[in-house]
Amino acid sequence: MLWKEKYELGVPLIDEQHKELFKRVESFMQVLRMASSWEDKVEKVNETLNFMNTYVVEHFRDEEAFQQEIGYPGEKEHKKVHADMVNYVIAVTEEYKNSGYNEQLIQKFAGKLMAWLINHVASEDQRIAAYAISKGVDKND
Amino acid sequence: MTDLYTPFLEATRNVFLLMLDLSDISDRPAERLGSGEELDVSIGFIGDLKGEVIYRLPHQTSLGIVTIMSGMEFDAVDEFVTSAISEIANIISGNVLTMLAEKDLTCDILPPVLKSPDDGEDYKNRNNILITSEVGDVCLDIRLELAK
Repeated sequence: MLWKEKYELGVPLIDEQHKELFKRVESFMQVLRMASSWEDKVEKVNETLNFMNTYVVEHFRDEEAFQQEIGYPGEKEHKKVHADMVNYVIAVTEEYKNSGYNEQLIQKFAGKLMAWLINHVASEDQRIAAYAISKGVDKND
Repeated sequence: MTDLYTPFLEATRNVFLLMLDLSDISDRPAERLGSGEELDVSIGFIGDLKGEVIYRLPHQTSLGIVTIMSGMEFDAVDEFVTSAISEIANIISGNVLTMLAEKDLTCDILPPVLKSPDDGEDYKNRNNILITSEVGDVCLDIRLELAK
């Protein structure tokens, strides 16, 4: 399973969104890695990619609002990391559509997305939680 | 020349622990991996240091790392695996940038590029680290020098 308990920040809204993201990425990977033809997989892949385009933006927005709320000092840098990822997802989606749904392109995208997401949540997002704890911020607000 | 062995080792340790739950890691200076197929990912450095760092992974190590991350079995180093490993090389190098900044070295990194194995004889300042964990060996071929 892609999601691990140690990734929890203790902020219910953000944790739920992270779990949903991991669930979707995991299901995306399972479809991509199935031993069936690309024609059989492409519809599900496209559906998940569309979801990611919307959900990732929504989640990043909520996470940035929480950072602002607690006065997180690394907010600006974190926002740039989010923006870079959103731009990457948009660019790949565009390239993928223009290529006529090329499988290699999307396999490459999925590999990077998995590693990026794990690092982002296991490392970078944990700093937000650590800051909130150090400032005595109630993360359940 | 600044010590580069320690920041690259520490960054690899941190990333392996956080992303792969691998804590039992040993290291030693080493020129090359053993024989066999390998994946070579280069990360270019610009700024106060220039050059590249090549992350060399035997295919078994690459497959082991991706299996830990995904919880799925992989039997070939394909686009998915190559891309995931390239991102890990990118993340480790990004962590190194933070450590270098603490030594007043301002650098940036370039996107990962796949390399073909070479002997690197053109590089005068080379540092090689062989890092061993339960997934296998990873060799970091550090080819960096101070920019003039």
